Amino acid sequence: MTVTKEFLKEEREQAWRVDIRKLLKNKERTGFTRVHMGEVDPMERIQSNIEVNTGLTEDEAVNEARRCLDCPDPTCISGCPVEINIPKFIKRIEQGEFLQAAQVLKETSALPAVCGRVCPQEKQCEAKCFYQVKMKKDPVAIGHLERFAADYERESGQISIPEVATANGIKVAVIGSGPAGLTFAGDMAKQGYDVTVFEALHEIGGVLKYGIPEFRLPNSIVDVEINSLKKMGVKFENNFIVGRTATIEDLKEEGFEGFFTGSGAGLPRFMNIPGENYIGILSSNEYLTRVNLMDAANPETDTPIISGKNVAVIGGGNTAMDSVRTAKRLGANRAMIIYRRSMEEMPARVEEIKHAEEEGIEFLTLTNPVEYFADETGRVNKVRVQKMELGEPDASGRRRPVAIEGSEYDIEVDTVVVSVGVSPNPLIPSSLPQLETTRWGTIVVDEEKLQTSIPEMFAGGDIVRGGATVILAMGDGRNAAAAMHKYLQDKLNA
Amino acid sequence: MKDLKTTYLGLPIKNPIVVGSSGLASTIGGIKKLAEAGAAAIVLKSIFEEEIKAEAEQTVGQQLGMDENNLEFYDYYDYQVKNEVLEGYVSLIREAKEAVDIPIIASINCTSYSEWVSFAHKIEEAGADAIELNIFKLPFGIKDEAAEVEKVYFDIVRKVKEHLSIPVGIKLASYFTNLGNVIHRLSHSGVEGLVLFNRFTSIDYDIENDQVITGKVYSNSDEYVNSLRWISIASSTAGCDMVASTGVHDYRTMVKMMLAGASAVEVVSAIYKEGPEVIGAMLKELEAWMERRNVESIAEFKGRLSQGKSSNPEVFERVQFMRYFSGHKH
Repeated sequence: MTVTKEFLKEEREQAWRVDIRKLLKNKERTGFTRVHMGEVDPMERIQSNIEVNTGLTEDEAVNEARRCLDCPDPTCISGCPVEINIPKFIKRIEQGEFLQAAQVLKETSALPAVCGRVCPQEKQCEAKCFYQVKMKKDPVAIGHLERFAADYERESGQISIPEVATANGIKVAVIGSGPAGLTFAGDMAKQGYDVTVFEALHEIGGVLKYGIPEFRLPNSIVDVEINSLKKMGVKFENNFIVGRTATIEDLKEEGFEGFFTGSGAGLPRFMNIPGENYIGILSSNEYLTRVNLMDAANPETDTPIISGKNVAVIGGGNTAMDSVRTAKRLGANRAMIIYRRSMEEMPARVEEIKHAEEEGIEFLTLTNPVEYFADETGRVNKVRVQKMELGEPDASGRRRPVAIEGSEYDIEVDTVVVSVGVSPNPLIPSSLPQLETTRWGTIVVDEEKLQTSIPEMFAGGDIVRGGATVILAMGDGRNAAAAMHKYLQDKLNA
Repeated sequence: MKDLKTTYLGLPIKNPIVVGSSGLASTIGGIKKLAEAGAAAIVLKSIFEEEIKAEAEQTVGQQLGMDENNLEFYDYYDYQVKNEVLEGYVSLIREAKEAVDIPIIASINCTSYSEWVSFAHKIEEAGADAIELNIFKLPFGIKDEAAEVEKVYFDIVRKVKEHLSIPVGIKLASYFTNLGNVIHRLSHSGVEGLVLFNRFTSIDYDIENDQVITGKVYSNSDEYVNSLRWISIASSTAGCDMVASTGVHDYRTMVKMMLAGASAVEVVSAIYKEGPEVIGAMLKELEAWMERRNVESIAEFKGRLSQGKSSNPEVFERVQFMRYFSGHKH
């Protein structure tokens, strides 16, 4: 579906929308205050993996929906990489038609319940909201409303399955079942393609499952979205490593005509400082994957994780927050973030930082590890850190951290989780020498079409961007699906 | 055959010509050519921490996407770039060690203590025979006290020595308030060698276009005098090898440096200008000079004209200046 201005205007002029707008004057709408989503008490939630945010009640959702002015030029949509028709779904909520609101979300988003939980709306749709841009007021809580509509539909049991075109018999393969791959799969299935998603791990969902903890995104929510795709005809193959279990050539022989690579950035990075190989120092990828997917928090499993009492997490992104909050839930007395810049420069979402602070996470900002020490068994027992100060702004516009010489001191630790970023998964590029990649291992694509140097292969998400949010990966999946559809149809009609 | 054997940063080497840190040794092909031409040791091109940071920033600047959504990916990108550069350097060291049988010396330039240690560790693991610390600190901070500037050098040496077992050398600049004292103390600080001096890229002005431009990239053959003076002053009391650098373009300067007390010389500009063959030519001429002067080994004449062995030591100092110039008239 192409979201043009004309299309949006047409939609906005539908009688029901006009009627809803007339219910309240804009002055009344702007007079309401933004809803606050409930949260489980911090001391209670750190005892388990219970989801932190509790969602909106129906009344709260309708009241918040009333704040939306249903602007003639809905700038919020331009802030959404998958171009959800935001005013339309919000007005459906105001109308009380929650199921229809969910259907609007599904027109362009394969994962609304996920996005409602993990999207950085404050930097995207909500950052472009009229309230924020023109009135300097709190934006409409688009993310909360998105979650509400998706949750309502799921809990109602009346889950709508998007319409699927008549099968065209063309087989396409999706490599990786993260947000890019799932979105691509959904959009291609809608067009009638025979879609198979190949996943290397034993669970479908990619980073949504292995990377994001239960307390932020329950796996059961992801499964519901995956089931919708299954109902649309998408097939899934677990424990299947494309490039190893079978090559692209093998798949071509099996009749696959188009490929979408969304294999993500699963290769952890380290700082390469002395002592980083000691026992008890692990990447956030390993830490979170083991806890989220392998039940490692359970001491009875084959590969339990050691529940450190003094856990240091290095980094300031969302993954670092997920790791440190997981450590707290696994029983750490002292769970701390060690970050070399200040709170202001942290890339993590404001909400995640707030939640972490509430849960008793310590923030050692302007502090950077320089060396690790271990006991006689080789297990880490100390991290030497150095204090930093902020210098001139760097290329990201943030002030650069500069080491304060002579400021080193030691902190006792028994577990360290290094969360300083990830690199693209090298499996697909290494199995396809003709595939053009950057020096950083990302796949080179045409920016609009997301087509790689191998014409029948398209790619998106972290394998192209290096690092991105769930929603940007979804946007890539969506754009790639449109481009591959055109490519395959042109080929067919040539 | 004369005995050209000597030492460099405490390492025995077959002759006194060491190829100084430069782009000449940035590839295995280049390293092999230098070794075949007779170089006794090769210092690899310096890794600059600042260059790594600049590259990381440039990448971040180009790649930072919509609303900084990928900031998390780029937050520690300097480490990624650093690791890649270091990995490349480590590979170069390993391959060089396999390709040639002469000592391979790594060279690093860092801005913070922790990075010096971290870089040095990697290099030692890679099998470098020694490390040259290219401590590149032009004292242009108008608020910096001399003692603070000096302290940086001693702190870096202490930290690196704490962590390394391979020989460590320092390539020094001559910008010190009390140069003789600093050279003496550093030579006794536990390092195995001092290289005098680092030659910084100079600036110049284009007076027709009012632009600041880069000065001469290569040294001239008459630029050796400062190194010669300070090696001759410091060598007899130094606690480590003294190595001459800057302006060593021919055998004559090489001989002068060794007479002053240098155990080896670093050559770069002459090789750039004349090719690696210049090494063989210099060695041949050195042997001819030794024959002419009836000496059999480097040890026989090394330091013969240093200030410590001079019967007239003031000739090295200011008196000399006064004698020449006090009566000079235009």
